[in-house]
Amino acid sequence: MFDENQPSLAANSANAIARVDDLKVYFNSKRGIVHSVDGVSFDIRDGETLGLVGETGCGKSVTGRSFLQLLPMPPGIQAGGSITFYPQGICEECGGKGCASCTGTGRTSVDCEACSGTGCDACGNNGAQQIDLLKLGSEKMRRIRGDRIAMIFQDPGKALNPSLTIREQVGEVFLQHRSEELLGAAGIATDAGGWQANILRRKASQMERGIEGLLLALPPLRSQRNKLELALDDMVADALTETQIANPRKLMGRYPHELSGGMRQRVMIAQALACNPDLLIADEPTTALDVTVQARILELISELKERHKTSVLYISHDLSLVRRICDRVAVMYAGRIAEIGTTEQIFNDPRHPYTRGLLAAVPTAASKRGELAAIKGSVPELVDPKPSCRFTGRCLFETEACGTFDPALQNVAPNHAVSCFIHHPPPEGARPSFDTKTS
Amino acid sequence: MADISQTRLPKSPFRGPTTSVWQVRVLRMRELAANILSNPTTVLGLAIIGMLLGMAIFAPFIAEPNIPDAYQMPRDWGAVRKPPGTPGHILGTTNEGGDVFYGVVWGSRTSLQLSLIVVSATVIIGTIVGSIAGFLGGWVDEVLMRIVDVFLSIPELIFALAIAAMLGPSFSNIIIALSMVIWVKYARIMRAQIIQVKQNEYIDAARVIGDSKINIYFRDILPNSFTPVMVQATLDMGNVVLIGATLSFIGLSEAGIAEWGVLVSEGQAGIASGRWWASTFPGLMIFLWALAFNLVGDGLRDALDPRTEGR
Amino acid sequence: MSAADQMPQAKPGTNADILLSVRNIKKHFPIREGALQKVVGQVRAVDGVSFDIRRGETLGLVGESGCGKTTLGQVVSGLRAPTDGAVYYDISEAQRAELETRQAVNWGAGHRIDQLEGAAFKNFRRNCQMVFQDSYSSLNPRHLVIDLVGRPLKVYKEASGDELVERVVALLEQVGLDRQHLYRYPHQFSGGQRQRISIARALALDPDLIVLDEPTSALDVSVQAQILNLLHDLQVERNLAYLFVTHDLSVVRHMADRIVTMYLGKVVETGETTDIFRQPYHPYTQALMAAKPDLIEGEDTAMQSLEGLVPDPARPPQGCRFHTRCPQATPVCGWEVDDVVRWLDSSEEMFDKLSGVERKSAFDATLTFEDETSAQRLADGLQSDLVPAPMREATEALEVSGKSVRVRFREVAEINLTDRDNGRAAACILDPNDVKRG
Repeated sequence: MFDENQPSLAANSANAIARVDDLKVYFNSKRGIVHSVDGVSFDIRDGETLGLVGETGCGKSVTGRSFLQLLPMPPGIQAGGSITFYPQGICEECGGKGCASCTGTGRTSVDCEACSGTGCDACGNNGAQQIDLLKLGSEKMRRIRGDRIAMIFQDPGKALNPSLTIREQVGEVFLQHRSEELLGAAGIATDAGGWQANILRRKASQMERGIEGLLLALPPLRSQRNKLELALDDMVADALTETQIANPRKLMGRYPHELSGGMRQRVMIAQALACNPDLLIADEPTTALDVTVQARILELISELKERHKTSVLYISHDLSLVRRICDRVAVMYAGRIAEIGTTEQIFNDPRHPYTRGLLAAVPTAASKRGELAAIKGSVPELVDPKPSCRFTGRCLFETEACGTFDPALQNVAPNHAVSCFIHHPPPEGARPSFDTKTS
Repeated sequence: MADISQTRLPKSPFRGPTTSVWQVRVLRMRELAANILSNPTTVLGLAIIGMLLGMAIFAPFIAEPNIPDAYQMPRDWGAVRKPPGTPGHILGTTNEGGDVFYGVVWGSRTSLQLSLIVVSATVIIGTIVGSIAGFLGGWVDEVLMRIVDVFLSIPELIFALAIAAMLGPSFSNIIIALSMVIWVKYARIMRAQIIQVKQNEYIDAARVIGDSKINIYFRDILPNSFTPVMVQATLDMGNVVLIGATLSFIGLSEAGIAEWGVLVSEGQAGIASGRWWASTFPGLMIFLWALAFNLVGDGLRDALDPRTEGR
Repeated sequence: MSAADQMPQAKPGTNADILLSVRNIKKHFPIREGALQKVVGQVRAVDGVSFDIRRGETLGLVGESGCGKTTLGQVVSGLRAPTDGAVYYDISEAQRAELETRQAVNWGAGHRIDQLEGAAFKNFRRNCQMVFQDSYSSLNPRHLVIDLVGRPLKVYKEASGDELVERVVALLEQVGLDRQHLYRYPHQFSGGQRQRISIARALALDPDLIVLDEPTSALDVSVQAQILNLLHDLQVERNLAYLFVTHDLSVVRHMADRIVTMYLGKVVETGETTDIFRQPYHPYTQALMAAKPDLIEGEDTAMQSLEGLVPDPARPPQGCRFHTRCPQATPVCGWEVDDVVRWLDSSEEMFDKLSGVERKSAFDATLTFEDETSAQRLADGLQSDLVPAPMREATEALEVSGKSVRVRFREVAEINLTDRDNGRAAACILDPNDVKRG
């Protein structure tokens, strides 16, 4: 469970593991071009849990899926911006314990492949490897998915293949990304030559060709293949045990429909964290679960995150959940970030009228019946919008300027940025203020 | 009291006049039509059907009706086995001097009759049986479905063949045979749809309001179950003519009537001797008819897909 | 709206206080297996639930998935017939007292909803309406708003033609929609708007009671706030009673006067909302609160989670159904043979070695294994820390003989709801002060 007292990795680390820069994703629809994500920028720091909060239609899921190119691109249009991934690794000098060169965190950025850390164009001359996730080719993206960046989804019932057993499902991750380890664990030398070794190598990475399946069933290769399977079983069982599933070996032979919702979610988490990814994107992972099960899963994610030093992008619409496990929170509205800051800043000192409205709308012990502070109106349609703050029409403090200019995300305090003219005056026109309600 | 006007809603995206129920329904029909017409293959199918329908309706004006019975092929013993292009017989003549063009035109009428009657009858019977099974469930459902299973286990064509053979060669017997065989398909479709629709909460909502079961059936269940039946019916309009033609080809229909299958059958012997026209033109018509309805049926299915319906 | 309009209007013709009295409702679903569809067991979705709903009050029915609250809502609104027990409509306090003490009453036929006929049944139907969770599937996608909201009026022939249209418009305005929405289809609206349409439909016949089955669960927080405000306003205006079924504690605390908490088909706690939230008497209620701390209080209350899985409703645990997961279980909470089997299931290999279980009763059985070492392991395990302490203490006998282990637990009767002070009731043997908070 998240311990408030322990100085978290995020506090010390200024290393970003991912940076979203002015991301724009649009969708073609009958009514026009929908600006689902319209200029979103934020960092995810190494080891932190960043919450991405917003209501239906705000674009948070689209943002999350963009990381792994999971959006269907015919209706979707990549309209601009970038998502840069900075893979991090254990600091070589101290082996992860913390030293001067890694500023005590035990992790440093991986050296740029092109120049081995000396500095070149590809890495912006700072020696650290950076990968533009949006521009990555499909083969390279495939290698990153599941291995360096993993994702878990809202409905585990739909995210797990109903015709694969749990073992096959989780095993796939290992076969794709950890075939070297598999071969090693099975006692097969990775550099052994010969056609037999080649077949085994292909089997270990799920690339065996047609007839090889048959050959693998015959005596000379069969024992090797069995060793591979056993090694895979062990790896899968270990992954499942990490998620506190009791009796993983028994579970491995089951199908998803035989498990409860909470169990399925654990399997999905096991699958996602199997290869120790640097970044985990969680898209509303507990929405479909009961409240008591939710709590368990959240605890699990926190624990695993601490143990593996994984950064988490936690997408949710549930503010109280986000408050429990996130270090920083970004509030999204209508395709843009309205406010971003540490959890404490957002919940104790919300500066954006939408954030305030959202917090006030949650029923608490103090709310009086019939007087929940509802935000009037509803989310605007984002079809070919003109430049303006998207919250116009619903904001209690808006002025004319709000409907004419796009506000920019700017700092109001260290680590706290808001996109609202109340805090940064508009180019022209009256500046809105919390003191003057206009509606 | 909290101000409900605070909860003011934005303008709905639905454009157009919305001042009465009928206007809305008309608009929706127009939307649906536009949807269907946006698919080029569907438009092609509709064009062909239009042409064939026109041929069927205006048959007496296109080819002089034969006396005394327009549906009998005219026999002109003086112009036997003439090839296409012969004056007075554009598409040639058959072994008995029947004008192939006449057969093609009047054959569309018989085909239309055949498909309309069979499809209407089967849809009605199938819907009734399927509705009873799906709505009542229990042992009624079991019994009815077992009967349907028996019917379905026999291939359509062979079954129709058996019945037609039993009843004797005549066009009306073919209609009866086909009807008896095809209705089960609709019973099955209807029942499956009803079972699925029954699970929706709006059925529960109607029950909570206190509406009677009959009303719920006609207002909620039937309209929402009917789409697959409509699509299948469209496809069957084409299918029925195909099967009917096959039965005629085998000889289970009356000889000498203006029906495409009969014409194909009668002209078939001449193909070996090079007289291709007596079978080919009617055969082409059968093909066009079936193709057209299949295209339209597919287009209809896509346009009426619940996922895209009304979006 | 003037103050006079805000006073609850007295319904003409009725002087009854209690709209709905739910008495010992059970709803079991048979489990059929085999070619002949033999009934091999019952899923006990609702297993003996009683409560009352009074005019104008909101009763919150809380529980997680599988607790039976949705089934109960369906039984209460008359959609499903109960397997046992009855729901009484429109009775007085005196009649209710009579129901508490007597099994059968002679005025039952006039008030039991499954025995009402003709005009009386129509009256019940008109006065008990329902709003469903999924606003999309509870509105016929082919009907226009005018059809949907006007249907109740048509069914009871209250209005037609222009008058119908005007009454529907009036209803729409009450829920924050207006005339321009009359001729539209459900899919053209957002989730919140559709839920408003559902509410308008439920109000059409001016009912006394509306059963709301998770009405805001699928909605965004800000939309939920709008709907909750609306529901409150309508309640004040029309003196409506609500049966508010939900799993969201913050919503139920906000909306409900009284709360009924359910677990695995039974009621575990009832009482006034403020009382329960100040000090829950049952560990399950406490667990629900701990799992989702309040947004404001979140600072000091740590989030706590519950171990274990919800047991199979076809084989509910003995004693207290919650004992398998309760962090404060005692030796007399109903430990039984099934707990041993569950424990076996969670440890590797041992379950596979089990060859048979012979039960003398739910508390007394002999388990046979394939070999002696497994039997011994079980016996050792049942006496070790691997098994909760209360379960160990409840073990009266544990004997190993060869490949079999005989185990006997203290027999405990089913733990039922007991009345406490201040109109509260809880199904727990613990003293309220021992139910730990946080």
